Amino acid sequence: MRGKVAIIGYAQSYHQGNMPMTREDMVFEVAKGAAEMAGITREDLDTVINASNDYLDGRTISELFLVMPMGAYLRDYTKVEMDGAFAMFYGMLKILSGTHDIALIVANTQGSTFNPHQISTYMLDPTFDRQIGVLNDVSMAAIQARMYMNKYSVSEDEVAIVSLKNLGNAAKNPHAHRRMPGITIEEVLNSKLLYDPIRELTMSPISDGACAVVLATEKKARELSDNPVWIEGVGSSQDSYIRNRNLYHLEGLEKAAKRAYQMADIKNQFAELDLAEVSERYAYEELMIYEALGFCEKGKGGTLIDSCATFKDGQLPVNPSGGALSADPITATGLIRVVEAVMQIRGEAGACQLPGVWRALAHGQTGVCAQSNIVYILGGEY
Amino acid sequence: MKSSKEEVIPVKGLPVSAAYGWSVGELMEKFIKELRNKKILATKCPKCNYTYVPPRLTCGKCFAKMDANNLTELSGKGVLVGYTTAYVELDGNGNFRDLNKPKLIGAIKLDGADSTIFMPLLDVEPEKVKEVLKVGVVWREETKGELADIKGFRPIK
Repeated sequence: MRGKVAIIGYAQSYHQGNMPMTREDMVFEVAKGAAEMAGITREDLDTVINASNDYLDGRTISELFLVMPMGAYLRDYTKVEMDGAFAMFYGMLKILSGTHDIALIVANTQGSTFNPHQISTYMLDPTFDRQIGVLNDVSMAAIQARMYMNKYSVSEDEVAIVSLKNLGNAAKNPHAHRRMPGITIEEVLNSKLLYDPIRELTMSPISDGACAVVLATEKKARELSDNPVWIEGVGSSQDSYIRNRNLYHLEGLEKAAKRAYQMADIKNQFAELDLAEVSERYAYEELMIYEALGFCEKGKGGTLIDSCATFKDGQLPVNPSGGALSADPITATGLIRVVEAVMQIRGEAGACQLPGVWRALAHGQTGVCAQSNIVYILGGEY
Repeated sequence: MKSSKEEVIPVKGLPVSAAYGWSVGELMEKFIKELRNKKILATKCPKCNYTYVPPRLTCGKCFAKMDANNLTELSGKGVLVGYTTAYVELDGNGNFRDLNKPKLIGAIKLDGADSTIFMPLLDVEPEKVKEVLKVGVVWREETKGELADIKGFRPIK
């Protein structure tokens, strides 16, 4: 890599189901918060990138009225219609190109505006699947879940343990939307069944939320920050449309992770990573994510969760923040994973803080059944 | 504070019903028209043999172009590779509405095809779906050359 890029500031909202705050106020708070932490003013921002979605926001320019709250007024500015974790990749490349020194990435969605699952039908092939009318992101996830669970004999209990772990972890995270201290397996398995086996508590909630990070060149990062977190590796990959995919595995994520590991020179995930923050929109999906990230063999996600290795006191904690199951403001969710990983590395994760976190993985995704994936390896000052 | 948005400005959306006129392409048009003759068409990639149903004009696997010469007819029989029982459905206005009777959705790999299609699964009780292996297409009584000609799939021997 030509030079290094660091995260020197971050902020996230208190994600919730129906935020009284307007979208503009929500975005202003995280943009201003991340800039203040980085010790910069609006004048220092060389470029600003927003991640939001027109359909989810109900306007054909989802960043309408957000340019000023983001500090992007009359500055270099663009938008990415995917997760903020992809916008961060774009910001990183702008910095590495040598044309910009400091980038602000802002991602936001207020899911309470309109049910994002209804919107998900607009992600389907309009000339076939949309006309057939049986699919949406949840029913498609249910089909994938059943395929995966039947093939590898993964039980509903094993899937429910993922919810138990993440929603339990979220109990200590003040930014999480769905915090459930003392949650039980029975509660998860008795929650409303939508599309078998997907239940209310094995899918992510519809959340309002925003997140921002400030990226900087190595030179600027050393000038401005005592505690920069470096992007040591990144990889992204795009899988094909659901009809032409191997739904038993997240092949796109596997490819993305391989690229990130190669760049960060990671050979043994358990020995070299201290934790992972992943964007599991469904509990079963986290098990498939373990496999794609190489935390276990294919089909062994259920065995891994049974071993408790991914619990917060396990060998490789996954989602100590609560993950996407605890808050899912779509487009912000992946960038929130980055921020949660950065907080852990900097020792700023409060009640969720784990001891000795030097290097962490963060994952973002966009699309039906995790079609597009991006993986970061983040590291502190050693 | 909850529901403040709906209470303050109950915006119903624009008075527009956008009927988008997508070009389905030559092969998809043929696929839809041939449903009248109870034929299911697919395209087989000349380079890698991956077979797409409904037919596609390009093979993303090997970046090759396909055309009418690559069309192939499928039997309408296949294997049920996945399923879900739907207890709810979206009403088009953003609400999940409970179904009085659950509906099954099947993931079907048609014989001779590599892609998977997702269709209503008929004449099966949810508790029996796990035992279903082979399925066949259920045509509506009068086929008209429309996607609605396929009512769904049902178990076959």
